[in-house]
Amino acid sequence: MKKIISALLVLVMAMSLFAGCGSTEPEVTVAPTEAPVVTEAPAAETEAPTEAAPQLSGTMKVVATSEAYVDLFNKFTEETGVAVELLSMSSGEVLSKLRAEGGTPSADLWFGGGVDAFMSAKEDGLLEQVNFEASAELDPTYKDADNYWFSKGLTIVGFLVNNTLAAELELDIPTSWADLLDEQYAGEIIMSNPAISGTNYGVVNCLLQVMGEEEGWKYFEALNENIAYYGRRGSDPKNKVTADEYAIGITYLDGTIDALLEQYDVTIVYPADGIPYIPEGVAVFKGAENVDAAKYFVEWLYSGDENLQMLSQIDQKTAVKVIKPTMEGVELAYSTDILVDVDVALFGSQREDILAKFEVLMGDKAATE
Amino acid sequence: MNRTNKGASKDALFRFLGEGTDKLIIAVLLGSICLFVLYPILRIFSQSVLVDGWLSFDAYADVWQGYRTSLWNSLFSSVLTAFFCTFLSVAVALVMTSSRGWVRGLMMGVILITMVSPPFVSSLAYIQLYGRRGWITHRLLGISWDPYNCWGVIWMQSISFVPMNALFLSGILTKMDTASIHAARDLGAGTRAILMDVVLPLIKPGILVTVLLTFVRALADFGTPTIIGGRFNTLASDIYIQLIGYSNPTKAAAMNVILLVPTLIAFLAYRVMLEKSDKLTAGRGGQGTVDLKLHRCGAVGILAMVFSMLFFVMMLLQYGSIFASGFMKVTRGVYSFSLDYVRQLIKYDSATIVRSVVYALIVSFVGTFFAMLFAYYTGRRNVPGRRFFDFLVMMPYMIPGTCFGIGYILAFNKAPMKLTGTALIVMACMLFKQLPTTTKLCSAALTQVPRTLELSARDLGGGRMAVLRDVILPGMRTAFFTCFTHNFSSSMTTAGAIIFLINPGKKLLVFNLFDKVYLGEYPMASLIATLIIVIVLTVEGLVWLFSRRKGKRYVS
Repeated sequence: MKKIISALLVLVMAMSLFAGCGSTEPEVTVAPTEAPVVTEAPAAETEAPTEAAPQLSGTMKVVATSEAYVDLFNKFTEETGVAVELLSMSSGEVLSKLRAEGGTPSADLWFGGGVDAFMSAKEDGLLEQVNFEASAELDPTYKDADNYWFSKGLTIVGFLVNNTLAAELELDIPTSWADLLDEQYAGEIIMSNPAISGTNYGVVNCLLQVMGEEEGWKYFEALNENIAYYGRRGSDPKNKVTADEYAIGITYLDGTIDALLEQYDVTIVYPADGIPYIPEGVAVFKGAENVDAAKYFVEWLYSGDENLQMLSQIDQKTAVKVIKPTMEGVELAYSTDILVDVDVALFGSQREDILAKFEVLMGDKAATE
Repeated sequence: MNRTNKGASKDALFRFLGEGTDKLIIAVLLGSICLFVLYPILRIFSQSVLVDGWLSFDAYADVWQGYRTSLWNSLFSSVLTAFFCTFLSVAVALVMTSSRGWVRGLMMGVILITMVSPPFVSSLAYIQLYGRRGWITHRLLGISWDPYNCWGVIWMQSISFVPMNALFLSGILTKMDTASIHAARDLGAGTRAILMDVVLPLIKPGILVTVLLTFVRALADFGTPTIIGGRFNTLASDIYIQLIGYSNPTKAAAMNVILLVPTLIAFLAYRVMLEKSDKLTAGRGGQGTVDLKLHRCGAVGILAMVFSMLFFVMMLLQYGSIFASGFMKVTRGVYSFSLDYVRQLIKYDSATIVRSVVYALIVSFVGTFFAMLFAYYTGRRNVPGRRFFDFLVMMPYMIPGTCFGIGYILAFNKAPMKLTGTALIVMACMLFKQLPTTTKLCSAALTQVPRTLELSARDLGGGRMAVLRDVILPGMRTAFFTCFTHNFSSSMTTAGAIIFLINPGKKLLVFNLFDKVYLGEYPMASLIATLIIVIVLTVEGLVWLFSRRKGKRYVS
């Protein structure tokens, strides 16, 4: 007992010691100095949204799906004086981190990643509402009705086929989702675990919506027979196909995939029976240190067409045109007719149930209910 | 003449302040262990049983019902890894200690390089070499087989844990009592009999320690099954998926607590074994080599030689392919030399490189002093709760890094202890994650400082601080350098624990490596891994040179 008490005493001592250290850390003291800006920023927003930036200061911390956006954020820095620090993180990681941080996020802006994670974050009250004039011009299908999240583009999904392997294994090039069930592809298809890959979650949710619950699950059970394994990284399907490891990958399709044609002997397939998609989210974290800068960034991004054009170039995707139909300078590379007709709102609400079912379907996990 | 006077007054001052400083050091040591080890672990535990403020064991029921296969997989693969790896390690250690000259130097060099093992890339190299289209399996041997299964995981883990084990075992072998070998030989025992009946039984406790430590490491390893497991899941890789995919820290925490059960059992057994193996080496000087001709040891000797050669060849291939991949571009199956990735790395990540080195240096300095002081206070002094703290400090070894990191976020996200987002939390996490190994190294070194020396210093009127400064710390000089290099190497290569702690603007190389692996940019990942290895070896070399210079001055 005595030992425990002395240990506790020591603990208390050390805590006060470290609390002392903590308060001298620059990160902690930055917040109060920025506080006065809070009252100025909204006023500036309502007056002149597209003109000179409101008085912003400090640094905006961004978690994004890739570091390639650095040019876009540099432009933002040039125009507003807000320095940007960028970190690449998958949306699942961001959500885990957010939940563990319990309302004290260590970043301000969340840029990119499957919108399902953004919907979950909104449910948990982790996002900040961002109201701005240009939001009215955005297609309501791809943004939150209450302005808690927006989309920066759409990830569309198809197949990448390795021609050498297909020839060697005498496989036909599949052209539709239905084709993938053919037994000639057994053990040659690779997709990512939908819990990890927003892209592959999009496939599961979209096909379930299109085929209907019962047929949809039958489809995935049959597909499971042909899947070699479910990658634990979002990039696995693309990589395993280009590395000649597997013949067919279920992957996102964009300009970067088109560029693979020059480097590898591969075929890109837009499935004839519908192309699943998932919007990529943008949101501001509630309770973040520099909420104002992040909020202004969202407004800045969607208000000026040249910003969206730049984004479209970096992403090598044209879907921003779908997000903001009034914008100019970007032409959609495909007709939206080829996309499956689904209710985007269900991406978030069905996520947990679908993933729980899918986890059992993948094998070796027992159902818990 | 003046010196003694000055020294005496200095000592008096130290004695005056000494007692107070002494208490303060104890308080800081134990306090920070409570804060940075006990508290985060308690937060992980409470996260697993508290749902909206209510006590609930639902997460455990879920995990027990749903993930038993993964638990068995973990146990199965870790047990096999422990045995294969130990077998290889013993073979390598035997071959290394019984050889001389440049062969020994070469083997030592390979072991030292491969001790630096950046996470994930080894598994990627494995796929590149032995995958369905691997350079060795397909291009060279023309076979196509599926390496994505539990055997791939077991084999990969087995060879990647060898370097450290082999170094540990060869340490024991070289310090072994050679008198018994000579005695056996004088009595007419053959080489084979000496190996089987004298050498192996003598190092048996060391072998068992290797088995248990490898088992624990394999249980906590999530990188290997994540990359080459295919459909094979272990509990550690499931924890990773819970965090990165399902974003469910509660379930991940519960899995972690369940995974702790086999780990703790192995660990308790390890403690018993370690005491025995410490007795083997206690206080004996090293002979350097073991006088044994392995090729005359019959089947066992030949087997040891064959397997260690296999190990060295595989390691050379693996690291060779990592080094090469950072400088190669592939276009339609044709590889060509390219500096594009180097340019890209320098352009975007110079600041990251500097930051990583600075963090690692700070962690190494502070961590090494921390470990030395901790070893001294728990080993030599009657500190309250000594055994408890000794046990506590080992905990980070047993918990998969990802969860340790989440524990840090859970523990330090609110004022007055808000540390999330700071550099301090990242460095603290690295430091305490490595403390189990560094304190062990320091405790071992402490046994070389005779207790009588300490007591006589006290009797001669030395204060507590004077003893620490003039007897203990100088006596642990070699341990300082060993700990320092170990700390530095680990800080540059530990990924799991800090993945969730890194924030925008504070990126580290190893995080970058993880990110590139996740995004599938293998050449870039290889280049970063190469850079990490080069940095670590450079720092190790400098430390070695420094320690030699200092050592000479010490003698003269």
